[in-house]
Amino acid sequence: MSELRVENLSKSYGKMKALDKVNLTVKPSEFLVVMGPSGCGKTTLLLTVLGVLKPDEGRMYIDGKDIDSLRISERNIGYAPQDFGLFPHLSTHDNVAFGLRAKARGKSEVEACVAEMLSLVGLEGLEQRKPSELSGGQKQRVALARALAINPYLLLLDEPLSNIDEITKAEVKVNLKETVKRTGVTTVCVMHDAEDALELGDRIAVMHAGRVIQCATPTDLLKNPEGELVRELLHHLVKIQ
Amino acid sequence: MQTETKIGEPAKKSLDKFNLALRMMAGAFILFMLVSLFYLYVAVGSSWGLVAKALFDSRILGALWISVSSAFIVGAIAIVVAIPTAYVLTYNNFRGKTLMETLLIEFPQTFPPATVGLVYLLMLGPGSPIDIAYTYPAVIIAKLYVSAPFALSFTLRRFREIHRTGLDVIAESLGGRTRHVLFWVLIPLSAIDLLGGFSLTWARAMGELAATLIFAGAIQWKTEIFPVVVLTTSQSDPPLALAASLIAAVLSIVALMIFKWIVGRRR
Ligand SMILES: Nc1ncnc2c1ncn2[C@@H]1O[C@H](COP(=O)(O)OP(=O)(O)O)[C@@H](O)[C@H]1O
Ligand SMILES: [Mg+2]
Repeated sequence: MSELRVENLSKSYGKMKALDKVNLTVKPSEFLVVMGPSGCGKTTLLLTVLGVLKPDEGRMYIDGKDIDSLRISERNIGYAPQDFGLFPHLSTHDNVAFGLRAKARGKSEVEACVAEMLSLVGLEGLEQRKPSELSGGQKQRVALARALAINPYLLLLDEPLSNIDEITKAEVKVNLKETVKRTGVTTVCVMHDAEDALELGDRIAVMHAGRVIQCATPTDLLKNPEGELVRELLHHLVKIQ
Repeated sequence: MQTETKIGEPAKKSLDKFNLALRMMAGAFILFMLVSLFYLYVAVGSSWGLVAKALFDSRILGALWISVSSAFIVGAIAIVVAIPTAYVLTYNNFRGKTLMETLLIEFPQTFPPATVGLVYLLMLGPGSPIDIAYTYPAVIIAKLYVSAPFALSFTLRRFREIHRTGLDVIAESLGGRTRHVLFWVLIPLSAIDLLGGFSLTWARAMGELAATLIFAGAIQWKTEIFPVVVLTTSQSDPPLALAASLIAAVLSIVALMIFKWIVGRRR
């Protein structure tokens, strides 16, 4: 169970400041939701922590260790992008096994772990299906199983609900949180929908224009929204309650 | 029984004038492209007896062996070198990268092959420390320079496409190193394109004439290829030239159709 600490993280695309001195701490086993409107820098934050993007400034620590100099493959961070990013030429089984095989685990260990992961996400029996033969919800679970199979320090999920149809969304939402909680992995989950965020997050970091403007539990967020922006984002939800 | 309207079959439209003009222009070009092949067929037909005999001429069989084997070797080498080169060009940014790509892909296709042959003859011919002029390896080298760019451009385009999907990053996040990204993601997802690159490289190598002739000469059963037979016998022995042309044309069409069929099945 690891802790992620992000200090003063900044990243620009040309003149566009996608991340502006972001500070965040995600506690061990916490499910942190990063919420904010489209274009506020959520994906950029995930890709910077993952190591795809080099930050302009700032530091990132996992359990107090600076991960800045580590390659993507050395960080041991599970990542599921918005489109799930399944390898289209590989079966469900081989997608989940990918990381274990890359880490040169023994055959029996790979098989045992893949079976465990597929039962964790409830995909037994679909081992031989290709991604093109899976529904959106099933793809999402394969992506989750694949990321969890490497026993990561940290799990990064980018809008896991955005490619799921409305009918199955409620079910997927519950399954997602349950699955992650069962493994106890520290998670940063990006969402743009305030309702989903409040339902799933242990805490919620509200982002706007590259900054985290408030980070609090759902209850605190509803009780004491800091500033006009947060209030506005939660406005219609507050009225419902 | 009810007649159903099938989706996907457009209703018959009366042709408008512009549509007609497009068809006529297309027709003219198609005719232009096919007429030479048709004429070859006619020419062979009118002297079929002589051509049939020439088909089994030792010179023809030698050219068949040299052309086909060298084109296959060139195709294979081209794929083997295109993969690392495309990888480097996809994942590394450096000054002059666009120029380098132009020199590797477009330029060799426009550089006169005769010049290519001449450069190799001066560089690797009589009087240079390494003299391989007029040998089989010279055939391979001359053809490789002219035709490998096809394999590279196919591979590079596909690697960039895959890179944009982010699947390579996913592989890395799962602990994959360079070899896993290459052998488990990039190459399997490029299989069709590698095959396409191979087949075009092969076909271009089959048709290459000037570079090979200048650098490798025309030694029967050693360096003489079909286009050279056609070139040197078109005046002195027309049936032999026609026989060589016929075989080359049939071989290319059959091979390209087979490649297309394989590619179509894998899709
Ligand atoms: N590769 C890029 N080049 C230039 N601008 C980018 C790039 N990626 C993202 N951006 C810009 O950075 C901002 C943040 O993007 P992103 O992190 O994808 O937002 P979000 O995931 O919250 O929707 C947006 O304004 C977006 O247009
Ligand atoms: Mg995004």
